[in-house]
Amino acid sequence: MSSRRSRQSTAGVSRISDDQIIELVSKLRQLLPEIRDRRSDKVSASKVLQETCNYIRSLHREVDDLSERLSQLLATIDTDSAEAAIIRSLIM
Amino acid sequence: MRPPSSLKQEFLKKWITGLQRCSSSKRNMSILERTKAIKLSADVAMASARNSTTCWSRALIANASKDGSDGKHLVEQILGLESERLMMKKASTGALVCNKRIRSKKILKRSCRIPRTRKCVPQVALATSIAKRMVRKRTQVLKSLIPGGEFMNEVSLIEETLDYIISLRVQVDVMRGLAGVSELVNHN
Repeated sequence: MSSRRSRQSTAGVSRISDDQIIELVSKLRQLLPEIRDRRSDKVSASKVLQETCNYIRSLHREVDDLSERLSQLLATIDTDSAEAAIIRSLIM
Repeated sequence: MRPPSSLKQEFLKKWITGLQRCSSSKRNMSILERTKAIKLSADVAMASARNSTTCWSRALIANASKDGSDGKHLVEQILGLESERLMMKKASTGALVCNKRIRSKKILKRSCRIPRTRKCVPQVALATSIAKRMVRKRTQVLKSLIPGGEFMNEVSLIEETLDYIISLRVQVDVMRGLAGVSELVNHN
């Protein structure tokens, strides 16, 4: 009991099993491009959360940009080449 | 976890089907409409590739098909019969699970409001309380980013985040690939 309480005051995360959370946070760290390269074991939970939010936001932005780019490209596929016909038949 | 390559293939298949269905109905779309259709079909394809196994995928499809939104008709077109099945699943399991979670969270919160005496140095107490507040604030932000995040507890939130990030990466990779191919074709 006392060990869990002292863990709580340092980790600052929820009361659900600490090991579970630590495992999940480490998995999250594997996915994040910046933290993974830093190779430190002392990254705080709040830093991981912040990097996660930034990463998700950048992925969202990329999806939006790609959608716009694709929409412009597909609108102008009017050439008569064989490849254009393939793409047209694939998507339109 | 399924290997990413099969996830890519499934996403691509569903996305192309969705795009075909969107374009077949509306011949002359404006650029804005087409952009929205592409993004929506990509999101819906990404979510349905998970087959209702994750909370975020259900929430994403539910949000897209909300009554009165532009997306509803589009989602029904893209998913076809599948959309009805997915809607039924969400209605029955999603809401119940979410309510249970909210209720248990309230009970937990109430029981933890009992004051505890903490005998630590004031500076340490301040630092830890600031750290806790940061974590809580950032958790709130994360909840706003993940579809359906407001209903999850911390553990599920992190699990869903992991899955969501993987799916987003697959989506970006496939879209980038298609954009690259289209650009090559256009230049020829």
